[in-house]
Order: sequence, then C-alpha cells, then structure tokens
Amino acid sequence: MTNIALLKLQLLYSGILAGQNLPSPLTNPFGLVHLVLPEGLTVSVHRNENGTDSPFTLRKDGTQFLLDIAGGESVPVQWTPPLQSYQQKTSSGVLVADILTVHGDFIAVHPTHACRFGQSGLSCRYCGSSRDVSQHPPFTPRDLVEAIQIVEQEKQCDVVSLSSGRVDTADGGVERLEKWVTEIRKHLNVLIALDLVPPETNDWIDKTYAMGVDALYYDSDFFNPDDEPRKDFEKHKARQLEALAYASRIFPTGAVLSHLVIGLEPLAETRASIDLLIDRGVVPVLAYFPPYDGSSLRSRWTATPEEARAIYAHLYERLVRTRINPHWVQQYDVVLTALEGRFFSNESPRYHLKLKNFYETSFGRALRFSLARLRRHLRVVPA
Amino acid sequence: MQYKIDTRPLPIVILARWWRFPVFMLLGYGLYYCFGQKPPEGLSLEGYRALIVFLTCLVLWVTRLLPLAVTGLFAMVAPPLLGVLPAKEAFAFFGSEPVFFIMGVFILATALLKSGLSARLALHLLKSGSKSPKRLVLHIMLTSALLSFVMSEHAVAAMMFPLVVIISRRLNLTPQGGSYGRILFLAMAWGCVIGGIATMLGGARVALAVGLLHDAGGGTITFAEWTRAMLPIVLVLFGFCYFLLTRFFSIDIQTVAEADTAIEEQIRDLGRPLMEEKFLGLLMIGAIASWVFFGLQLGMASISILAVVLLFMFRVVEWKDLQEKMEWGVILMYGGAIAISSILNSTGAGIWFTKRFVLPHLDSPWMLMLALSFLSILLAEAMSPSAVVAIVVPIGMSVAKQFGLDPKVVVYAVASASGLAYALPMSTPPVALAYSSGYLRMKEVLLPASLMALVSWLTLLMTAKFWWPLLGIHVGR
Repeated sequence: MTNIALLKLQLLYSGILAGQNLPSPLTNPFGLVHLVLPEGLTVSVHRNENGTDSPFTLRKDGTQFLLDIAGGESVPVQWTPPLQSYQQKTSSGVLVADILTVHGDFIAVHPTHACRFGQSGLSCRYCGSSRDVSQHPPFTPRDLVEAIQIVEQEKQCDVVSLSSGRVDTADGGVERLEKWVTEIRKHLNVLIALDLVPPETNDWIDKTYAMGVDALYYDSDFFNPDDEPRKDFEKHKARQLEALAYASRIFPTGAVLSHLVIGLEPLAETRASIDLLIDRGVVPVLAYFPPYDGSSLRSRWTATPEEARAIYAHLYERLVRTRINPHWVQQYDVVLTALEGRFFSNESPRYHLKLKNFYETSFGRALRFSLARLRRHLRVVPA
Repeated sequence: MQYKIDTRPLPIVILARWWRFPVFMLLGYGLYYCFGQKPPEGLSLEGYRALIVFLTCLVLWVTRLLPLAVTGLFAMVAPPLLGVLPAKEAFAFFGSEPVFFIMGVFILATALLKSGLSARLALHLLKSGSKSPKRLVLHIMLTSALLSFVMSEHAVAAMMFPLVVIISRRLNLTPQGGSYGRILFLAMAWGCVIGGIATMLGGARVALAVGLLHDAGGGTITFAEWTRAMLPIVLVLFGFCYFLLTRFFSIDIQTVAEADTAIEEQIRDLGRPLMEEKFLGLLMIGAIASWVFFGLQLGMASISILAVVLLFMFRVVEWKDLQEKMEWGVILMYGGAIAISSILNSTGAGIWFTKRFVLPHLDSPWMLMLALSFLSILLAEAMSPSAVVAIVVPIGMSVAKQFGLDPKVVVYAVASASGLAYALPMSTPPVALAYSSGYLRMKEVLLPASLMALVSWLTLLMTAKFWWPLLGIHVGR
C-alpha cells in the first residue's frame, strides 16, 4: 500500500503524465492539475509535457480517475476541474485569473509585486505568483473583493493570502498591503494571511495584527540564502528570529509560519531549522519541489521524497509535543503540510484530525472565524 | 492610529475587558430583586423606587461602569419608567438654570482657549517669573490659579501643560533627573486645583451644587458670596502649597534663565493680540462683573448665555469649534444629577434615608460639617468632583434639614472640598495631566499630597468656624 503523503511528495517532485480519456482543459490557467488523493490530501501537480520523466500517469476509466504508478499499483484519485471563475471578469473588466490563484480553500494574491521567483522571471506555483505580476493588468482592492466573491460562488474559501512580494523596507511590506486588507475585511468574512518579510521593528507586527490579519507567513531568507549572502548576515538572522518570536506571541498559536525549502541544504540543517522555528512558536512550512531548470538553485537540489519523509515526521511530532496548532496551513495543495506529516509518524493524530474535521463543518468554520475576530477584539487596544 | 496588543493570558484579558458585564448582570438582578420588595416602613413606593434609582446611580458614578453623562441620562429616564413621576416632569429638570450656566461657562472657556487669549495671559504672567527657580515655581502656581478663577481648571491645565513641558525641556530637566521638574508640574496641577475653588467658574461642580440647592428650595448662592466665602481658603492653601513645594522637594537647579528665553519665544510666536482676543477680554470682564453685581437680579445663566450670544455675534468662535472642544457630556451628567436629587427630595426618600442611616451617627451640625468635608475630599481622590457633589449634596442637605441647618453650608462645604484632590491621577484633570508628564511618581507625591489634603480640610473647617459667620453663614447655630 502506497504511503499517501509520500505519493504527494513524489507527485510534487515528478509531476504527472496525461493518459487516456482525460477531459479538456485538464489544468488550471497556470498549468497545474488539481487532484484529491485518498485520505483527502489535495495536491496541485504540474503536467510533465515531455512524457519521459514522471513515473505517474493520470487516466480516466469510465467515471473513475486513476493514477498509474510505473511498475506498480493504480491509485484512485479525484480530479478537480479547473475553476470556471478564472475566466470571469470583475465589473472593471479584469480577468479573475489575473488577480488570484486558488489552492484548495486558500486564495493566493500578489496585489503589487511578484515574489522572488516571479521577479527573476520564473513562475512560482507555491505562493500564487504564477506569472510575472508586472505583466498583469492593474487591479484595485475593489476588483480583488469582486474576484474573491466570484470564486466563492463556485467554491468555499477560508483563507485569502496576500503577498507583498520581495521588499526591502522597514515595514516588511505591511503598508503596501494595508488597503487591500482593509477592503477585504470590510466586505468579506474570510481569514486573511499575509506573506511578508520580517519587519525591522516590532510595532509593525502589532499593526499587522491590529489591521485585521489572522496569520503571517514570514519569508525568513536566512534559511535559504541567495548565492551571495549579505554582509550583516548574523545580525540580520538574529533580528528575523526576534521578529518571528515576537509575532508568535501576538498572533494565535500556530498562525505564524515561515517557509523552509527542503533540498537546498543538508537535511540535518533543515531539521535544526525546524527546531529553531518551533522553539519560537513558529510553524515551519516545508516547501518541497525541485527548482526550475533555469534557477541557479537547481544545482544545489539534493533531497529525494524518501529522504524528506523523516523531516516531515520530525516536524509533525515536534508540533504535537509543543501543542502548537498546525491547522493554519491545512489543505495547502502545493506543500505537504505539518499535519500531513502524520503519515510518516507513529504519533496518534486522533485529536488533530478531529479538530481538522470539525473546522471543515460549517459550524466549525463559523466558530473558527468568530474566535479569530473575538481574539483581535480583545487583544487590540488603541495606544 | 497606534495600537498596543494585550499579550496577557486570554482569560485575564477577558476579565479586564468584560468585567463590566457580570457586574451589570448583578446590578440588574439587584434592581429586579429590590423592585419586587415592599417599601420599608415610613417610605412611600415612589420614594422607595427613587432611592433605588439613586443608589444605582451612586454605584455607576463611583465605579464608572458607564460614562458619567450616560449615568446622568439614566437618572433622568429611570424615574418616569418606574412610575416615580411623569416623564414631562423628569425631563423638565434638564432645563434648570445651573445647567445653562454651566453650558455658558464652558463655551466661554472654549472661546478663551481657541482665541489664544488664555495662552497669552499665561505667558505674560509667567514672563517675570524666570528670575530664580523659586520665583518660577511661584509664577507657574500663580498663573494656573489666577486663570482657574475665570476658566474651568481642566481647561487651564490643558493650556498650561505644554508651556510647562517647553520650560522643562529648555531647562534640560528629565523625568529621571532631579526634583525640579516634579515641582513645576505639581505647581501647575495644584495651582489649578486651589484656584479652581475660588469662583464659580473654576469647576462646574459649584454650579451643580447651587442648582441642587435651588431645586431643593434652599435658595441660591451668588457669584460674589461664593468667592468671599472661599477667599481665605484659597490664600492659605496657596501659601502652604508654595511652602510645601519649595521645602519638601529640593530645588536642584541654579538658574532658570533659559525658561525666560522659551517664554519670550512663545510670546513672539503669538504675535500681536487679535481683535477677537481684545473683544473676548472685555467680554469676560463684563461677564464677571455682571455675575458679581447683577447675578441675583438677572440670573447667572442669563448672563452666561448672553455672553455666549455676544461671542457669536462678533464671530469670536464658530459652532464647529464648540462641537469639537466642548465637554457636552458633563452637561448631560448635571441634568441627571439635578433630576435625581430633586426626586429624592420631592418623594421624601432623602429625608427617610438620612433619618435611618445618617442621623444616628451624627449628633451635631459640626459633626455633619466634619463628616461631609472629609468624605468629599476623600471621594474626590477617586471620583470626578461633580460626581461627588451629585452624591453627597442631596444627602447632606437632607441631614442639614434635620438639624435645622442652612443647606447652603452643605453646598459650601461639599462643593469646595470635592475640588481639593491632589494625589491620584484619576482625581482631577490637572493632576492627571501632571502625572502624564512622566515626572511624577506616585510614591513621591503621596506624602506631600496627603499633607495638602489634611491642611485643606483643616483650613476649610477653620474658615467655616471663623470667617463664614462674618458673612452670615453659620454652621453651629
């Protein structure tokens, strides 16, 4: 029997080949196929066009979609058709696909700037910056709200994640996103996450929470430094860690997340980085996919899915022991989440699964949203 | 807007933010229970319900579960809702003369602040004070006190505070440094407090107390009568305050010449007096003269409202200035306080309460005087002076009636004592502002403030004993 989480990792690593009888269009506008694996694991997998590299072939047999594993079994999967909403336009004429990307119950938006992959001309399937943002038609906060409303008519979404892109300002990109957060808060009942760089001072973290943000994804670049690390690396690292620790005291437990890319450094270092983050109350989000061919990081990539499984097990077990809530990254279809790390562990996931199932009910969802609002109402005091 | 995130454990945050709700529920249950009971012997049903409303207001005023003004509104709407008296009569109390007097005085104070006349007066009074450190203390006290004769003390403190901050910075005084900065801010705050009792304009509590007196059928007190009665107290306390500040704290600075430069710069920035300022100055002189000489004939409120009309005729202020800067809530509070006090009086609840609970503990008018003034000084440290007046005066007047004592004595005693709060930041706005400077630490202020309070109480009693009889006000006859 295939380990489902390992299968997800392998799919993220290798992509799929298109077999027989598949519907058209198979992929979303960004070239990704949405699948639901057994045990409810969602995955957005890229389609391997050259037909030679991937051991996985998706085909349709009657009404059933099957994932054939080369030299092995066939796994029944569900195929999620690309959203019709992507082709719709807002009242000002902007295409929804040019505004946002949907990952499971998670909407990713790059309102102004692309992430570092986007800026380098590459397409990031992880954070939603799937095209060069600078080439997108400009859109307003009002357009964004309309686009989310269009998507919500077709599919329920819990979290809207806004990314500031790669910035080098003291606020880490908060100010740039403020008007977008305000507009979403004004019109929609969703959780809001921001993808930012840790700011230079902690008052920006207070402001981020106070303006209506529920979760933070901090791009702590010291874990995955560029080819030429900065001169003040140690000072920079200390400040970023301080910001992460402070943010985890301000935001709900488990709502501060930081990315770690598996494979760019020895796995022992990744393991140490996981501990470093969890000790500060931060949930690591382990991104696992090989860099694109054009990337300078390609030559540093080492980890295979089998090697990565121990890291995921360690992440899940550490989170369970430290009682940090792992549910802020649930149903993230382009990474294997901390909770999905349970498939590699012997620790009982009963409590977390019950909580996850509860959050997926309409009552649980409403309660989660209400508690997030109530917490902010209680904690934020005008100075 | 700046934010602070409260990171204490959530149960503590909930308790800190929402403790009011269980208290409201308890209060609600208490009210419900009391209304289900029969009135005590000797008290009518209306009187019983009026007493319940009064006690509820008392709890709300003391705990500040609701803003003072909202409790005032509650005091007005509760009696008709509970059938104590018709709505028409209850709301009519809001039309009392003192309410309009207070409104007029607040508008005049707002005009003084907005026109810059009060700042100009303050700077010129301070100007000659920078010859020596002690003299600067004296001038800050004097300026604060004199301005509090004609404006409410919180307005004076709000105006003086930035000036004292500028002077402190010029003198390189720091909160962590020596004690001279502390002396300056205390001189400002206590100057305002002492000056605030000199006339009816220093704080609205006097007008409120006089309103309560009038509605209880006890006559009235004129502007001149009040000032004459308070003059010795103000002089003694002013002298003692200066002595205490300059002796208790060490003056650890040699020269204050830099303060002179700062004041000169401020005066230069103000430029020449505007026509509005000159007009306002004349208008204030005219208004005060009218209150002193024609207050009784024309009515205090009529004079203040007439002055306000003249302000608008000559466009010294705009209505939007008043909307932004006036404390309209205080006026609502006074309406409610006067209403509940009058209802206690008319239903006989006040008399019943004092006979039952107060009189057994007091055996002479002097005991009453001692108790009321002490209680007022004590309460004023934790409550707004107006709330103290609203609570203590109605009971005090009921007791006075039992002793055959002129209720005006109660007004003099409570309205003056309730203004004499020196120690705690929640007492009066001048003291709160002084604390906000960062120069004051409570443990260093408590002892001198307690001495000030003690001397204030003794001075009030001495004045009542030896000075007031000369004015025809007798406590023990």
